[in-house]
Amino acid sequence: MDMPYDTQEDIPDDALLVLYANGDAAAARVLTLRLTPRVFSHAYRVLGDRDEAEDVAQEALIRLWKVAPDWRQGEAKVTTWLYRVVANLCTDRLRKARGVALDAVAEPADDARGPAETLLEQARMDALQAALGELPDRQRQAVVLRHIEGLGNPEIAEILEISVEAVESLTARGKRALAAALAGQRAALGYSDD
Amino acid sequence: MLDALFDAAREDVAATPSASLMARVLEDASALQKIAEPGAVQGRRDGFWRALLRNLGGWPSVGGLATAAVAGLWIGIAGSTSQIGSTLGAQVLSGGQDAVLSEFDNSYAFLLD
Repeated sequence: MDMPYDTQEDIPDDALLVLYANGDAAAARVLTLRLTPRVFSHAYRVLGDRDEAEDVAQEALIRLWKVAPDWRQGEAKVTTWLYRVVANLCTDRLRKARGVALDAVAEPADDARGPAETLLEQARMDALQAALGELPDRQRQAVVLRHIEGLGNPEIAEILEISVEAVESLTARGKRALAAALAGQRAALGYSDD
Repeated sequence: MLDALFDAAREDVAATPSASLMARVLEDASALQKIAEPGAVQGRRDGFWRALLRNLGGWPSVGGLATAAVAGLWIGIAGSTSQIGSTLGAQVLSGGQDAVLSEFDNSYAFLLD
């Protein structure tokens, strides 16, 4: 007894997860479309590598599907739980990758085609990604969750399993480090007039 | 500059998942959903009667079916015994079919006039 796709758009994640556990295929589709981009985006920003980020995103969602039958509605936020899984998977991967040159990890694929604007945009994203890659793991995670994913400090604290004050400290230090790393590239990135 | 970069990062297509990842995630969801279905988790295979019971809608439905069956049986028995002593058989044999109809429904009584 699948519900029509459009009627599920407004259903909260945890209710959809219960529907999924009860065999609703449409709930699986909506959750996949809703959660995969968020999970992948975070993993990509933290790991700086699309293939690695895809593996992490897939693994995180597999864990979500497996936990679905035991999910208790209202107890935890699905996205918070999922971000925590992603954060831990990323930390594991970064720990294993330690020793690999940072620039090898952060080097993005260079398309080298398209108009100048696209190239400038690409250069900006490459610079941000490279600067993020130089931050310590926890700082990077906190900065990405706060400033790119747009989460609040209390939720980030829950995800990283630290205090709100610790989150504030991590994001402040991370932002300062990013600003310092990118300061020398302002002109090259088209921000000379700022 | 940093805030502008963060804004641009939110729109960055490089951070959007590929179609193949979406397909893989959906495949996983579907495969694990089958495993998570009740019964499959416990590794228990339903017997014929248990499967029949489930397909009929569980005990409440079966209770209704049983009531209907008993009521049908009673109507059958009561109907047949009440006709044994009547003249219905004779009427049928003598060709009085209109009278037979009137036995069941008074609206056919006008046919007897």
